[in-house]
Amino acid sequence: MSDSTNPPGAANPSTEAAAERASLDRKTRRAFQVLILQRGRNPGVKGWEMRRYLGKDYKKILEVLSDDLKPLGLEVHLVPGPEQTDDSTRFLLRFRDPPTLTEAETAGFRIDDLAVLAATIALVNSKQGRISRKELESFLKGKFPRWRIDYSVDRYIKRGYLDQDDKDLIRIGWRTRAEIDERSLMTLILAQGTQSKTTGGKQ
Amino acid sequence: MLKDSEAMQQLVAIVKLQDQWIKHRASALYIDPLLLELKIQLISKEELAESLAKSWHPIAQIDQLTPKGLEKAFVYWRELVPFSERFKDQFGNYGQQTGMIGLEELESLSIFTKEEFESRLNAISKELVERSNGKEIDYRDFINGKDPEETALRGYLIAFVVTEGRATIRTDPLTEQIFISVMQGKPGDETKSVAIAVR
Repeated sequence: MSDSTNPPGAANPSTEAAAERASLDRKTRRAFQVLILQRGRNPGVKGWEMRRYLGKDYKKILEVLSDDLKPLGLEVHLVPGPEQTDDSTRFLLRFRDPPTLTEAETAGFRIDDLAVLAATIALVNSKQGRISRKELESFLKGKFPRWRIDYSVDRYIKRGYLDQDDKDLIRIGWRTRAEIDERSLMTLILAQGTQSKTTGGKQ
Repeated sequence: MLKDSEAMQQLVAIVKLQDQWIKHRASALYIDPLLLELKIQLISKEELAESLAKSWHPIAQIDQLTPKGLEKAFVYWRELVPFSERFKDQFGNYGQQTGMIGLEELESLSIFTKEEFESRLNAISKELVERSNGKEIDYRDFINGKDPEETALRGYLIAFVVTEGRATIRTDPLTEQIFISVMQGKPGDETKSVAIAVR
């Protein structure tokens, strides 16, 4: 009987949906594999590469993957490229929730190193995105030993958190854009003193 | 006309910078630099670090070997010239390891003849007996010659005198000063070799 309703050669709608689902699953798996394995020096995969691996609907697939990764505490994050185009946008996997300070320390960052980076990012942002290395060092000198400043700033430049040009101007690096919520950092720094004072007052 | 266009270009640059400034002031990232500097100076390092940790989302990525990477490594290893041959063209046998030179080799190089060596060995041994007068004397003073070649030669000869058990060497562990003295009686069982740099 069913043969009379569906002529030979016509696709069954349920089979079609299952095939579509299977294709989406396959592409999502592929997207995860592409993102989790490091290719080249810098992490992440550019938009044009994603299109090559997953097809033109790659953004939708990445949205599905980001939802699927929610239970694992991960997300797909995009960092706009210098040309602000889809092709230059970098996609990467990152932690959905920030780690605790202890977890950050176990990742090889000392409290002093983290504090230097926090102060530098905040200062660079307040100075319209760039500050001379000399000015930065002279500011940080009031809080950290000289050797720690040199060591930390050089290390963060190497790791891509900061960027230094040939005129010795320090800017925010691509890794900070990818990993750090700068707005939240600025707010948290400004709130730090008042929070402890408010809490102290209440107690 | 040229002056006008130059002036226009300068004006455009000023307007562009003003635009950037206004955009930054209007953005959520803008905070008065003086206020921020004061704030950073006032709060502790721990509070700064905590602020960063709370706004940090580390990248999750695996850095591991892929079949392609393995193939690349294999090709590199297969085509890698051994270290001993790598710089031969530029430096000849520069990379050759230092070795030991024996008496036979010195004889073959005509630096010593057997007879000459024996007589020099006896002469330096006699000199040691005379200069030490039964006491310990400074090793470096003793081997010191009129030039580095003679110092090296005296060091080489005295090593044979010590090996034969005719003299003994002692190093002061505190000052690292080396002393040499004539061996009195038979040498003990406890012997060991030491390396001394001859300067």
